[in-house]
Amino acid sequence: MNAIQTRGLCKDYQVPVKRPGLMGAFRHFLDGRTRTVRAVRDVSFDIGKGELVGFLGPNGAGKTTTLKMLSGLLYPTSGEVTVLGRVPSKRENDFLRRFSMVMGQRTQLWWDLPARETFTLNQKIYSIPEREFARRRDEVIALLELEELVDRPVKKLSLGERMKAELACAILHEPEVLLLDEPTLGLDIVMQEKLRRFILDYQRRTQCTILLTSHNMDDVEELCQRVMVINDGQLLYDGSLEKIVRSYAPDKLVVLGAARKLEAGQLSPYGEIVSLDGTSAKLLVPRQKVSQAVGEILSRLPIVDLAVEEMPVDHIIRKVFLKAASSGSGAAGRGLLEEEDGEERKEKDLHERSVP
Amino acid sequence: MNAPFPDAFSKYRTVFAMSVQRELTYRASFLMDRARSVTILIAFYAFWSAIFQDRADFAGYTRAQMFTYVLGMNVLNALVFSDKTWEMIYEINTGKISSYLIRPISYIGACVSRDAADKLTQMLSAVIEVALAWWLLRVPLYAPRDPWTYAAFAAAALLAVALYFLMSYAVSSLAFWTAESGGPRFCFELFLAFASGGFFPLDVLPGLMRRTFESLPFASLLFFPLNVFLERLGPGDLARGFAVQVFWIVCSGFLVRALWRRGLRAYGSEGG
Repeated sequence: MNAIQTRGLCKDYQVPVKRPGLMGAFRHFLDGRTRTVRAVRDVSFDIGKGELVGFLGPNGAGKTTTLKMLSGLLYPTSGEVTVLGRVPSKRENDFLRRFSMVMGQRTQLWWDLPARETFTLNQKIYSIPEREFARRRDEVIALLELEELVDRPVKKLSLGERMKAELACAILHEPEVLLLDEPTLGLDIVMQEKLRRFILDYQRRTQCTILLTSHNMDDVEELCQRVMVINDGQLLYDGSLEKIVRSYAPDKLVVLGAARKLEAGQLSPYGEIVSLDGTSAKLLVPRQKVSQAVGEILSRLPIVDLAVEEMPVDHIIRKVFLKAASSGSGAAGRGLLEEEDGEERKEKDLHERSVP
Repeated sequence: MNAPFPDAFSKYRTVFAMSVQRELTYRASFLMDRARSVTILIAFYAFWSAIFQDRADFAGYTRAQMFTYVLGMNVLNALVFSDKTWEMIYEINTGKISSYLIRPISYIGACVSRDAADKLTQMLSAVIEVALAWWLLRVPLYAPRDPWTYAAFAAAALLAVALYFLMSYAVSSLAFWTAESGGPRFCFELFLAFASGGFFPLDVLPGLMRRTFESLPFASLLFFPLNVFLERLGPGDLARGFAVQVFWIVCSGFLVRALWRRGLRAYGSEGG
C-alpha cells in the first residue's frame, strides 16, 4: 500500500504585479493587480510504505509547495493527494498523529524556552505515555548529542543545533510519514554525517516513510535510493539515484592544493580543468578513473591538499533540465528509459513517471 | 480513539505553563507595560480628583463609584484586553502558524491558553497596583451591598473576556488575506479603548452615541461589567446587558469559524 499518493497535483498562487520603485508601489496600492503563477503542475507519484525518497530541484522549483500540500498546509488547486490514506488538508487527528514535518526555516520549538519544554508539549499533544516518552526522549538526546543543548533557550542555539533539536522534537511520536525539508542545513560536516546516520537508522528501525528535500548531494546519495527531480513545477524524473548520477554526473570533482604553482599541462592528462589559480586547481575526472587519477596526481605532483567531491546536485539537475528542454519538457526520464535493460525497466514501470 | 477528558486538555495546560514561563522571560517588557498602565491610572486619578473637588457626584456617579470605576478599569483592562492574538498576525505572516497546523492541537485552543497566561500575569500586577493606589492615595472605594452582585460581575467579566477574545481573533484572522492586518488591529484596539468605556464612563457621551455603543459589542467589554459591580443597573438593564454580551459572542463565534475556514484555504504558508 502506498503511504503517499498524488495524481495530477497542481497549485496556483496569486502574485502581486508591482513595478519597481516608489511609483510602482503607489500604482500597485491603487490597482492591486495580481497574476496567477502555477507553482506545481500536474505532479503524480506514489511512495510506498517504508521508502526513503529524495526530492530534488533548484530553489522555486515547487518542492516545498508539494511538501506543504502533502502536509495539508496548502490546498491543491486541482488534483488529488492522499497521505496514509487520508486527505491531508482535512487535518484529521488520526492523520496528524501519524505524520510529522521538519521545515528548515520554520520551527516548532519555542524560541524563548529550552527545547526540553517543547518536547514535553509534544508528549502531551501526541499523548505519548510517560515512560515511553522518557525512553524516546533520552534516546534521541543521546543519539543527536543534545545533552548540553536541550536545557538552553532555543534562541541561544546555532542553526545546526536548532535543526537537531527540531528533528528530535518531530520524531518523538514516531511518525509513519516524515517530511524533511533541508535536514542538514547549517550543520558542520561531522554533524551532517551523524544526522544522516541517525535518519537512516531511524528509518530502518521504524520503517517510517521519508521524503526529503536537500541541496546537499551527500544527503541524497547516502540516504536515498530513489529520487524525484522537479523543476518549474513539473516532475522531470522519478527513479533510482544511481542512474541519474551515472547518466548526468559521469565525473567527480577533484580539488587540489599544491606546494608549488601548477601548470595546465601537468593536469590535463587526468581530466578537464575547471579552474586553475596558481597552487590550487579543480579537475573534472570520469568517476571510474578517479582512484587511478588521484594516485598518479599524488605521486607525480607536489600536492599538499586533495579532495574528491561529487558534482553539486544543482549541476546534475541542471543537466536534467537541459536534456528535458532539448527533447521537450519531462522527457529526461524517458531518455533514461532508453538506456535500461529489462529488469530496470520493470523498476521504472513501478516508479517512474514523466510528465508531458 | 479520543483521549480521556483530562488528557485532552493536558496539551493546553502545558501551553499555558510554557506561556507563563515565557512571560517571565521578558521582565523588562512586562514592567514597561505595567508602567504604562500605572501612568494612565495616575492621570485618571488626577483628572477625576479635579472634577470631584467641588462636587459630590458627576454624571450620576458618586465620588466612591467613580474612583472604583477608574481602579476597576485598570484591573478589568488587564483581564479583558490582555491578549496574545497579536502573535497570530505574526505567525500567519511568517508561516510560523504551520507548526501548529501540522500537529493535533487546536490553534484557537493554544491561543486561549497563551491569552490566559498573559491575563494571569497582567492581572496579578494590576491587582497589586490597585491595592497600592488604594493604600497610598486613600481612594474611596465602592463595595457592593448585594452579595449576588459579585456573582453577576464575575459572569459579566467572563463574558467580556470571551467576547474580546473572539473579536480580536476575528480581526487578527485578516492576516490570512493581507500582510497589513496590523494596521486595522491597532485602530481596532484604540477604538475599543474609547468605545468600551476605557477612557471614561460612557454616561458622559451624548445619548445616541452611548446607546449605539451599548447595543454594539463595545460597552459589553468594560462599561457594562463595571456598572454591574457599581450596582447602577436595574434588573431590566442587567438582563439587556447580558443578552447583548451573549448575542455578540454568538455572532463573533460564527464569524471566527467562517474566517478560520476560509483563511486556511487562503493561507500561503510563507517563509520556507
